[in-house]
Parts: sequence; structure tokens; C-alpha cells
Amino acid sequence: MSSMIPTMRHVRGFDVARPLSIGMLVLMMLPLVFLPLASIFLFGTSQGLTSFMESLTAPEAVFALKLSMVTSFWATLFNVIFGLFAAYVLSRYNFWGRNALIVTISLPTAIPTAVAGFALLLLWGPYGTLGRFLAPHGIQTMFTAGAIILANIFVTFPLAFGVIKPVFDTMSRSLEEASATIGATRVQTFWHVTLPSLRGAIVSGALLTFARAVGEFGSTILVSGNLAGRTQTAPLYIFAKFNEGQIEAANAIAIVLALFSFLIFSVLFFARDWLDVD
Amino acid sequence: MAQVARSMEKLISADAKDIQPPAAASVVGVSKFFGKTSVLQNISFDVAEGEALVLLGASGSGKTTILRIIAGLEQPYTGKIMIHGKDVTELPARERGVGVIFQSYALFPKMTVEKNIGYGLRIRKRKRKEIKKTVEELLSLVQLEEHRKKYPSQLSGGQQQRVAIARTLAYDPEVLLFDEPFGALDAQTRTRLRREIRDLLKKVNVPAIFITHDQEEALELGDRIAVINVGNIEQIGTPAEVYNNPATEYVATFLGAANILEGVVRKDYVEFGGAKIAARIDSEKFTEGQPVKLIFRPEDVALSMTQELPSGHSCFAGAIVEETSFVGAYERLRLRLDPAGGNSCDTGDTPYYLTTETPESQTAKPIIATRPKPETMAVKLRRGDRVFIGLTSFTLLPKDLRPMAGTETSR
Ligand SMILES: Nc1ncnc2c1ncn2[C@@H]1O[C@H](COP(=O)(O)OP(=O)(O)OP(=O)(O)O)[C@@H](O)[C@H]1O
Ligand SMILES: [Mg+2]
Repeated sequence: MSSMIPTMRHVRGFDVARPLSIGMLVLMMLPLVFLPLASIFLFGTSQGLTSFMESLTAPEAVFALKLSMVTSFWATLFNVIFGLFAAYVLSRYNFWGRNALIVTISLPTAIPTAVAGFALLLLWGPYGTLGRFLAPHGIQTMFTAGAIILANIFVTFPLAFGVIKPVFDTMSRSLEEASATIGATRVQTFWHVTLPSLRGAIVSGALLTFARAVGEFGSTILVSGNLAGRTQTAPLYIFAKFNEGQIEAANAIAIVLALFSFLIFSVLFFARDWLDVD
Repeated sequence: MAQVARSMEKLISADAKDIQPPAAASVVGVSKFFGKTSVLQNISFDVAEGEALVLLGASGSGKTTILRIIAGLEQPYTGKIMIHGKDVTELPARERGVGVIFQSYALFPKMTVEKNIGYGLRIRKRKRKEIKKTVEELLSLVQLEEHRKKYPSQLSGGQQQRVAIARTLAYDPEVLLFDEPFGALDAQTRTRLRREIRDLLKKVNVPAIFITHDQEEALELGDRIAVINVGNIEQIGTPAEVYNNPATEYVATFLGAANILEGVVRKDYVEFGGAKIAARIDSEKFTEGQPVKLIFRPEDVALSMTQELPSGHSCFAGAIVEETSFVGAYERLRLRLDPAGGNSCDTGDTPYYLTTETPESQTAKPIIATRPKPETMAVKLRRGDRVFIGLTSFTLLPKDLRPMAGTETSR
């Protein structure tokens, strides 16, 4: 009987604002988020599954997807290792200009991606500050897969760092000190003690970086030259096919990218507990 | 001449070395600054083989800093650290072979109990078989066999502490350092763990340095206690020495309750109206007329309705009972020196007396006394009763002279 009391109180104290505000939230998200996403899937499959598969297996489409994955992979690898290193240095050592450095690392997120791409061109392009010394030797950095990786690194630079640094800051120094008194070298301590505690942060940082890199458009279109079958990433492919009026072709890749990002986000969302297991 | 003297010195020091084996660990003249603030001033002490030394001091007195300097986690400004006769001051923490049990235990959260304990051996690249065997022995030593697969977050505070100890014992530490090992535990668990650790240490026979600000803990854990006050060692000695013969007022008040009265040394001097006590006074340390402090513990006060006190008590003064309260195992009384009661204690023919310097100011100061239960039953005392106070033992310290110099204990 006593278990009735909380229920009763709940019913009596019924909050009208609750269903109303939840309903409004969903209603607002409908045209802004849900419907655009839904239409990708509705439209993409409207011509039947065979035409969808055909668009998906077109050589240029497959190449674009592969290129996106590979370039994003290398950018992610670099940025996670760099982020780890930067977080270690910036949370373990106190030095003059430390805060300025932290702000600078975070800066690339605030720069428009087109500006980032443009800046890279001005540096590495055939007539760029550095590029003009390389060009005579036949070294071409821009308009290659390497350029795409460079652009990806630039625009996703602070993501992994931003996830890893707070974990470093809150990690108790006494763990590392304990490891040292037990007899471990710095490298052993980092490998056996520090790194395991960062596992969750490293995985989330990597996933975030990767998701962001795969979708990168603004900087990529400037530095890659957008050459189909050579430097065309998946988002560029979507853009190109759309311009050519091949809506189904664009749509098939769009579905793949959308599903891919869903996947990454569900891993991030549901694997939180697993990643931080003690 | 100088040469002869020097070689003589050498001879003597060599002799001394032969007689005394090097201490397990020594702190020699260590001082430490953080920025411009001096945290430790010329600290020196030894820990003997198998000994448990307790560093007792208030918060911020520098205890943790001493420990970190011994462990190599902090560099001293001056002085050196010796471990088994070897100067390790320049060695990094990992080469000192010291076991530190951190206040929060600092267990590795992503390793199981087993992995935590075996860590020291794994990084020393020992054989897998050997590691397994040692871990097994340690698990049974600290009675954590059934918890071997658990992670630190799944253990109670006491269990975590045992893992932390086992983790250091795995690599045969030269000395164990405990930073407030019981700080995070409830009173009951504290007492139990204290005994457990003491037994464990006796079993493994590893010298240990404990840090605490809990006097009860210090008395129970330590073979010796070093009382630290703002970066200085005030006194170092066995619990009985430190408790019964405090070298300074700080030690007396920090370790247990103490009554402190100010007085003057007098010879053949009888003053009616002032309290006085007969004392065998070392004339080298105290001179007539010298202001001194009289320090005695509440349990060293004997009370009597008549002047007759149990033998071995120096009759001190008349007093009035101001308050009595029952505190579990004993009765606690607040007394005030009787301003009019005079002092008719028979002082015999002891050449020196201590008299309270200014009866007016001293009578304003309450004296705390405790009586065991049987005595409370035999002689009931109530507020307003006139009694005579005798002292079983007390300590005399020169007033305003700090520290150590000229202490004298009389019984
Ligand atoms: N890294 C540091 N930088 C500056 N000051 C410090 C540092 N570590 C300790 N101190 C100062 O040194 C003094 C002694 O500190 P310490 O931690 O040794 O005290 P403690 O006796 O262990 O105190 P507690 O019982 O509170 O742990 C304190 O005044 C503290 O503020
Ligand atoms: Mg401390």
C-alpha cells in the first residue's frame, strides 16, 4: 500500500508543462533535423534497391569513399598522437606562454574551413611561401591525397586534444608518483599507468576526429583540386554529382556517409561505460 | 698538529661506524623551501632496522614534505637522505627502493588486485613464474585471495590499503613510508587496521615511517615518535618518553592533554597563599628565581580531602572543585587553585621549591584532573568541595626558552 503514495503524489502533482515542452522540442527538431535526414533515405531508395546499389558500386563512388576513409584515418592517427603529446606537455609542465599555446591549439576550430584550405594553398601551392621552393624539384604537395590529409589535420587539430587534456588534468599525480617509487621509468609509467586511464578519451577523441574528417568539405575542395578518381573525397563526390544532376548517385553516397556518422555516434554514446570501465 | 687531529677524528669515526650498523634510513640536516617559505628547517632523524617511526604533527607542519623527500619525489634544499648507509639524495625515486603508501593509496585503477601487486616485478622484468609465486604469497599475507580479480574501485578502503602495502612489499622495499594511512577511514576501522598493520610490519620486519596527526595513532603505532612543529622536530623518543617527559610545551599539549602553570624556582622559600611543590631541581639548568613552566597530565593529579596523599605524590596546593563530569571510563574534574586556602603541604626539607609566581593570575587558570572509576566511587566529590592536589609526576620547562634546552623531569 505504501508504494501507492509516491505514484499518487506524482499523479496529483501532474506537470502540464512537461508533455507540452517535450512535444515542442520534438516539433522544432522535425523540420530542422529529422526530416532532412529522413528524406535522404526516402529519396535514395525511391528508385529501387538495384539502382541504389549501382550508384554505390560505381568505380568513382567507391574510390571517393575509400579516399575519404584513408585520408581521415591518417589525419586521425596524427591528431590523436599529437593531442596526447600536447595534452601531456601542457598539463604536466607549467611554463611561460602555456595558456597562449592552449588557445592556439584550439584555434583551428574557429577558422572557417574554406579559409583553412586557402591558407594551406598559400603555403604549399606551386606559388606558395614554401611550395615555390619545392615546385622546381618536382615536389607537388597540393592537389594530392597528401593535401587532403594536411587539410584534415588542420581542421580537426584540437578535437582529440580537447577530449584528452581534461582527463590528464583530473588524473591524480599520485598514480604516476606511485609508479615511480615502485621503480618504473617514465616510459613504463606512461605505458602501464597513464595510457590505460586515457583509453576512453583516446577512443572518443579518435572517433570525433574521424567523423569530422570524413565529412570535411570546405578545405578539401580547395586543396584537392577535386579530380574525380584521383583526389575526390566522398563529400566532394556528392557535390559534383549533384551539380551534374545525377541526384541518385549523390544520394547513395550521402546515405553511406549518414549511416557512417550514425554508427560513430552510437559507439560514442553507448560505449561510454565500456570505455571508462574501471 | 692539525693532521694528527684529523687522523684521530678519522679513527674515532671509523670506530663509531664499527660499533653502530647504519640506520635503515636517515634524514640528515634536511631543509626545504617552497618559493620563499621555509617548510622544513634542518631536520635530522634515523629509522633503525625493523623500527616503526611515527612523524606526528599538525596539518601543514611539513610531514608529507619529509616523506616525499625521502621517497625522492621532492628535492631537499640542504641535507641528505641515506638509505642503509648509502647517500641517495641524488637518486631519482625509482632507484631508491622505497615503498610509499599514499594517503589515497594510489592503486592503478585499470589493473586488478593481482596486477597491482605484481606491477613492481613486471617492470623489473622478472620471470612470470616468479611473479605469480610472489603475488600468491602476498595475497595470502594480506588476506585478499578471493579479491584477486577485482579492480580497486570494487574494494573497501581497508582492502585497498592492504593492496597498496602488498604492492610495495613485492619488490622488497628498503623502508616503507605511510602518509596518513588511516585518514580516510572511520574510527573503528582505523583501530582495527592499525593493529593489523603493526602485526604485518613485525612479520615482514621492514622499517617504516608513518605520518599522522592523530596522537592515539602515534602512540600505538610507533616504536618511536618524532613530534614535528612548523618544520622542526620538537622531540623524538619512545611513546612513553614523549608522553611522560615532553621536551617542550608544544609536545606536551599536542600529545595528550596537559595542565600548564607558570611558576618560579625558590630556595628555602615558603609563601603562604601561593601554591608550591617540592622538586629535585638540577641546579645546572635552573637557578633560583628563574621563571619556569610546570606541566602535568590530568591523570597525574591525585586528589584528597585531607592533606594525606598516596605515597609518591608531591603535595602541591589546595583547590576548589568547580565542575565534575563523567566521561565514560573516568571522571573529569575542573579545579581552581584555592586563593585563600593557603598551602600547608608539608614540604619536608627539599632544598628547592617551585611556587606559582603570581597567585592571582594562576588561580584564574583551571586545572583539569581525571580520576579512575573506583576512586570516584570511594570518594565522591562535588562542586565547591575543597581538596588537596598532589602530583604523581610533572615536567619543568624553563619559561620562554625553546626548544629542548634545559628540560628537567621530576618524579
Ligand atoms: N608543492 C608545494 N608548493 C608550495 N607549497 C607547498 C607545496 N607542498 C607543500 N607546501 C606547503 O608546505 C607546508 C607543509 O606541507 P606538508 O604537505 O608537508 O604538510 P603536512 O604536515 O603533510 O600537512 P597535512 O597534515 O595537512 O597533510 C604547507 O604549508 C604547505 O602549504
Ligand atoms: Mg600531509
